[in-house]
Amino acid sequence: MVPENGISRDEHISMYKVPGGKLLRVRFVLEEEKIASIRFTGDFFLHPEESIEELEEKLRGVEFGEESVLPVMEEFFNTYECVGAEAKDFLVLLFGE
Amino acid sequence: MVKWRLLRTEYSPASLNMATDQAVMETVSAGGPPTFRVYEWRPSAISIGYFQGMKEEVDVGVCEERNVEVVRRLTGGGAVFHDEKGEVTYSIIFREGSIELPPKILDAYPLICDGLVRGLKKLGVEAAFRPVNDIIVGKKKISGNAQTRRMGCVLQHGTLLYDVDPELMFTLLLVPDEKMRGKMIAAVKEGITSVRHETGGAASITDVEEALIEGFSEALDIELVPGELSPREKERAEELRRTRYGSREWNFKR
Repeated sequence: MVPENGISRDEHISMYKVPGGKLLRVRFVLEEEKIASIRFTGDFFLHPEESIEELEEKLRGVEFGEESVLPVMEEFFNTYECVGAEAKDFLVLLFGE
Repeated sequence: MVKWRLLRTEYSPASLNMATDQAVMETVSAGGPPTFRVYEWRPSAISIGYFQGMKEEVDVGVCEERNVEVVRRLTGGGAVFHDEKGEVTYSIIFREGSIELPPKILDAYPLICDGLVRGLKKLGVEAAFRPVNDIIVGKKKISGNAQTRRMGCVLQHGTLLYDVDPELMFTLLLVPDEKMRGKMIAAVKEGITSVRHETGGAASITDVEEALIEGFSEALDIELVPGELSPREKERAEELRRTRYGSREWNFKR
């Protein structure tokens, strides 16, 4: 979708059920191939819980591609404990299998 | 044997129940007694996990019509229907280090959940822990649990199904794919059971509470001494109810 100001802006929604694990959902907006905003939801566990906002903040402005998103995810999931899903599941959620 | 406080707060609205768990965690964090609490919900309510989208999981309009309260928990995990006639909830709150637990939260679930397994055994129900955070009878789920660690404390709360109405549950909850609604209700009917079903109706809610109290005492090797919320905790719970668990800002933040 190209609005009047010429900046392309697309909203995406995706859902992924981790085999034997939890349901992950994401809603994000891409502007010029970069993540403008992103929101993860689902029945997973992450400790401490507020860190999800840190991940969403860190992904803002990142180019929407596996090479760019992977290091952010890896660093995040090495720092915080997630139960019911792993970094790779969040990547599948965003980019498919 | 180490003495812990036992709270039996009985029926409260969802926002107050969740506020009470947090208020107790704050006192435990400040040096108050480790606490085991059993409680129920009135009116019936739906709690969603910390990370869930309220409007993705819950038919908020139908809940309002039917006087079912909705609340976001402090803990992760899934949406739970707390039927006022069909459910017993517990919470266990202690300072990290006051019982020995594995460092990873994932590994701590089976240890704490052993209280439920032992409690169910008192009722004559053979149950087992199923990773990540469930208790099952045969292959059917009877309890879901959620843990958080903050302020130097461990808080785990969980639900034990006493009686269950999947049709009603799915009137209130949304399903990821509407076309799958029928199949999902069937899967849930197949996949869950309740104390009432397993005991043939022999155990009352009070019996279930007592069984849990015994089960957790055994599992954690503690003595549960009946106590009450302090006036300060009650006041703090009311405050948290107003500012957080009863607020649209918190409940609809995702």
